[in-house]
Amino acid sequence: MARIARPLLRGVLCAALLVQVALIARADRPVVELEIRNHLFHPSELVVPANVKVKLIVYNRDPTPEEFESYELNREKVIMGGQKAVIFIGPLAPGEYPFFGEFNPKTAQGKVIAQ
Amino acid sequence: MLLTSVIIILREVLEAALLLSILLAMSRFLNLRVRWFWASLAMGVAGSILYGANLVAISNAFDGVGQELLNAGLQIAIYLLLLLIAALLIANRRRGAYKVPLLQGAMLLAVALAVLREGSEIYIYLMAFRHQPDLLPGVMAGALLGAGIGFSVGALFYYLLRGLPQQYTLLTACVLLTLVAGGMTLQAAQLLIQADWLPAQPPLWDSSVLVAEHSVVGQLLYALVGYEATPTLVEFLVYIASVSVMVLLLGWMRYASSKKNSPVA
Repeated sequence: MARIARPLLRGVLCAALLVQVALIARADRPVVELEIRNHLFHPSELVVPANVKVKLIVYNRDPTPEEFESYELNREKVIMGGQKAVIFIGPLAPGEYPFFGEFNPKTAQGKVIAQ
Repeated sequence: MLLTSVIIILREVLEAALLLSILLAMSRFLNLRVRWFWASLAMGVAGSILYGANLVAISNAFDGVGQELLNAGLQIAIYLLLLLIAALLIANRRRGAYKVPLLQGAMLLAVALAVLREGSEIYIYLMAFRHQPDLLPGVMAGALLGAGIGFSVGALFYYLLRGLPQQYTLLTACVLLTLVAGGMTLQAAQLLIQADWLPAQPPLWDSSVLVAEHSVVGQLLYALVGYEATPTLVEFLVYIASVSVMVLLLGWMRYASSKKNSPVA
């Protein structure tokens, strides 16, 4: 019994450690915040660190839904009115990455600047 | 407002309409009943409304990435259904009626899931205008226009498949379904990267100079094959793997069913 139990226990402990490492890595992501007000992004230019994964939190302060969309970032997410959305972006090479609100593309425009 | 709503509705309708037209054409090709199609549209629309009405709860689930996980799940389910459908199409074509209820059930579910996925976004977009009656006429006109164009492209594919010489129809449909299926897994991979469930990597290449994703050709390619101008290694591998699995399965189905069909020597 012990012959099976010991490697099994070791395996479980290793797995738990890996999950822990993964969770720490995930919690470590720099957080950047963005707001939607009156179909405009604030700030419209968002500076993020280059070459790391960033946790972008978008708050939609409008009562209407919006879709955060960017071809350059390969991201697309609907955010209901009065809600927030979590979108992971990057790691990005230094440069500019435009994004827009698909439901109000004429006004809701912005860009991520990775540096 | 008009142009925005044309583009939004067209983008969403196009994907579902393409899948629907291919499956409808193949049902007619094999002389199957096509009544499943009404049921799947109804299920898809009902599902869209349910999804759209619960999006807040869905989005907040799983630490704020519930939307990505659910959409990725839907797309993986559609991929598996297309795998089953294409395999059964080959079996039906080559050895007569074979598991027809399963085939029709899979078609019904695949179209319903595609409509649900695309329709929920249309529902959310349109519902936002219920308190803005002055904008509503323009938005609705745009929506009808976009839906009209989307379904017209679908109809074009339908008649293209129906008009082909019989010996090429099945092959063409299988190639189209494989491309659509590959696009589904590619989009699912991208959503899982967005949710931080798959590793993010720098893009392997950038083909946006050749075909930009927001161009008309780019949008059509996106709807049909899930075109992505800047794929990462994970996305590329997922695409190659899912397409290879489908090609191998279909090739094997064809080989197996032709062996059974040949007279015993």
